[in-house]
Amino acid sequence: MAAKQSKFLIGALLIVGAVGYLIYTSIQETKVYYFTIDEFLLKKATLANTDVRVAGRVQAGSIQWDPAALTLTFRLMPIEPGTIPVGALPPGVAVSYQGILPDMFAEGRDVIVEGLYTPEQQLVASTIMTSCPSKYEPEIEERLTRADG
Amino acid sequence: MTHLGTLALYLASLLAVYAIVTSLWGVRTRRTAWIASGTQAAYAVGGCVVIASIALLHALLTRDFNVEYVASYSSSTLPLHYTVAAFWGGQKGSLLFWALIHCFFSAIVLFQNRTRNQELMPYVTATLMIIALFFLGLLCFITPPFERLSFIPDEGSDLNPLLQNYWMTIHPPALYLGFISASVPFAFALAALATGKLGDVWIRTTRRWALTSWFFLSLGNLLGGRWAYEVLGWGGYWAWDPVENAAIMPWFTATAYLHSVMIQEKKDMLKVWNMTLVILTFVLTIFGTFLTRSGVISSVHSFTQSGLGPYFLTFLACILTVSIGLLLYRLPDLKSENEFDSLLSREAAFLFNNLILVGLAFATFWGTIFPILSEWVRGVKITVGPPFFNQVNGPLGVMLLFLTGIGPIIAWRRASWSSLGRQFTIPLVVGLALGGLLFVLGYRNYYAVVIFSLAGFVLTGILAEFSRGTRARQVMLHESPPQALGRLIGKNPRRYGGYIVHVGVVLIFFGVAGALFTIEKQITVSAEQSFEVGRYTLLYTGITEREDAHIAAQVATVNILVDGQQIDTMHPEKRFYKKQNQPTTEVDIRPTLVEDLYLVLGSYDEPSGLATFQVFINPLVSWIWIGGLILILGTCVIMAPNPAERQAFALARTPADIRGQAIAE
Repeated sequence: MAAKQSKFLIGALLIVGAVGYLIYTSIQETKVYYFTIDEFLLKKATLANTDVRVAGRVQAGSIQWDPAALTLTFRLMPIEPGTIPVGALPPGVAVSYQGILPDMFAEGRDVIVEGLYTPEQQLVASTIMTSCPSKYEPEIEERLTRADG
Repeated sequence: MTHLGTLALYLASLLAVYAIVTSLWGVRTRRTAWIASGTQAAYAVGGCVVIASIALLHALLTRDFNVEYVASYSSSTLPLHYTVAAFWGGQKGSLLFWALIHCFFSAIVLFQNRTRNQELMPYVTATLMIIALFFLGLLCFITPPFERLSFIPDEGSDLNPLLQNYWMTIHPPALYLGFISASVPFAFALAALATGKLGDVWIRTTRRWALTSWFFLSLGNLLGGRWAYEVLGWGGYWAWDPVENAAIMPWFTATAYLHSVMIQEKKDMLKVWNMTLVILTFVLTIFGTFLTRSGVISSVHSFTQSGLGPYFLTFLACILTVSIGLLLYRLPDLKSENEFDSLLSREAAFLFNNLILVGLAFATFWGTIFPILSEWVRGVKITVGPPFFNQVNGPLGVMLLFLTGIGPIIAWRRASWSSLGRQFTIPLVVGLALGGLLFVLGYRNYYAVVIFSLAGFVLTGILAEFSRGTRARQVMLHESPPQALGRLIGKNPRRYGGYIVHVGVVLIFFGVAGALFTIEKQITVSAEQSFEVGRYTLLYTGITEREDAHIAAQVATVNILVDGQQIDTMHPEKRFYKKQNQPTTEVDIRPTLVEDLYLVLGSYDEPSGLATFQVFINPLVSWIWIGGLILILGTCVIMAPNPAERQAFALARTPADIRGQAIAE
């Protein structure tokens, strides 16, 4: 009897072990560090050749989009840049991307960029996610408030 | 109307409190009058929630933009059916919708059990009303749906364009039905634990509810995939997004339960495990709602984020504490004297299937909350995306597919080698032959080859079961083949309906494996320019513009040619929803059984006339929807009224009920 039950135990442990092993190795292989742009700028010296996901704002006037080649470059900057000396650029990181623009992508939008941070200090994006529509609810409120005034 | 709605919600909360107190007090003092009064109050809660729902619908349909919810989620140009869908399009409405369905289900449960399960019912009523009270409390005090603005806007800000899609009008209700019906087995499980009536009465009573929940969870997930495929425009149907994960996790545990419960029915084993699965499924539905509502994890689907997180977490903590506490308290009574006999048995197959399903749920859970965990533990937010889930859940899914071929066919208790040979030789040969053939044909994607040959193995096994049963009836009862097949299924709908569900599952696997052969291309062209993707030539002829009060659209016309012959014309669009000031992409899909041609108008540059297209060739996707339909059909067969089952149920019920009445008197 005991031998029979231990067979089941071994089978179960094999499956549990396989699940654990798969989870562990897959996390090691696919993990991506998530930073806000402020955290990223602080740590960027240590992040060359790492897969990162960075949340920030598309800097106004920085978008260069070539619809024929489907290449995009822009600068990602902090959502609250603080005081910037006159004439100076806000702190940020250059992003390059190849592919179709997401629908909501525009200057001043908050986006999440996922990609590889190269030693040349460029973020080569594989995905650009625009923040989800609910984030625009403040805008709606604003509009309603304006209607109020 | 809206005042009436608010009043109804407050009244419903009070009645829910009353129902909880009287039910529990009644059972404690053994006074049936109290219990009956609690039951009546529970019905009344439902009545009040219905009134509140009518009030909200009324506000939406009369376009009362002074109501904040109406102004935020609809507009004067929103079509009627989407205006109705706006009921569950925003957070407040969806919580009210949740309460509505929950009360509806509660009423059905109370009515079904008006004379049965008298011992369990007070606890069931109390549990269901506690859940109702949680949602009613949110609606009364945290997110009042009838809140008014200090002014009357002349226009609403419209429903999110991504939700203005016909799949989206039915996908959330389907998922809600699945989520909410999971609370019924949970309530009975708690009642069984509380009363100590741990026999199979509660299981038999809730079997249909568990199935119903599973049915709607399956439907909700399928429709969600369909919606993502048509609306999100990234070429796929499943992205392991936190909100999708929230919907699939309870499905995994519910599927596990539907299998393991058979072991309890047959062998009176795994009682603790089944109890745990029922509790876990319910907890995961609440956790799923928490994920979508709290915004703790960023997701493309979080249309309605808010500060509800802490309330949900508190509620979750309460549920877990009570459930685990009761479970530990009854642990000694849940022991079984039986043991498993052999690894070569259906019990073993089901046991391993359960471990894999729970493993799938756990891996999905782990990946979903990993950003939070890693931030807590290491101070760095680490996220994992689709590659993680595919790497983990892919192999587990393949193991599950293999067991799908073994479990339903292998004998209970202990399979002899000769019966194994008789049952599995043909399926094994077919599966291996299929794999070999694919290899010879040059397929070197081993993942796909394994899945396809396993699919062949499982399907052959199921077909053999059908043909064996049908032939036996033909020979012994002299029935015609169709008659024999019909009666075979009719006589044992649980078994053969289950096989049909498995056919659906196999086809879904088959369709998903098609994704291993996806072709994607992005290209920018000017008018009258053509380009090749796979075997297709696409000729872009130009853009036309279309506009109404609600939407402005740029519609591209693309002729599809194969071997120089035009076979179709497609019209992907770029839309602009005026009220929400939001551009969206409308894909055009040309589905066939072999592959879908999926065409996205990425952008249109007016000055240069250049249009950017993204084209996907998605092989076998149609089989996912076909498999889904078969799965739904199979579930309907299982759920069809079954006289034999009712008889068994009546027999099993009687002794307990007599005792129940004795106590009541």
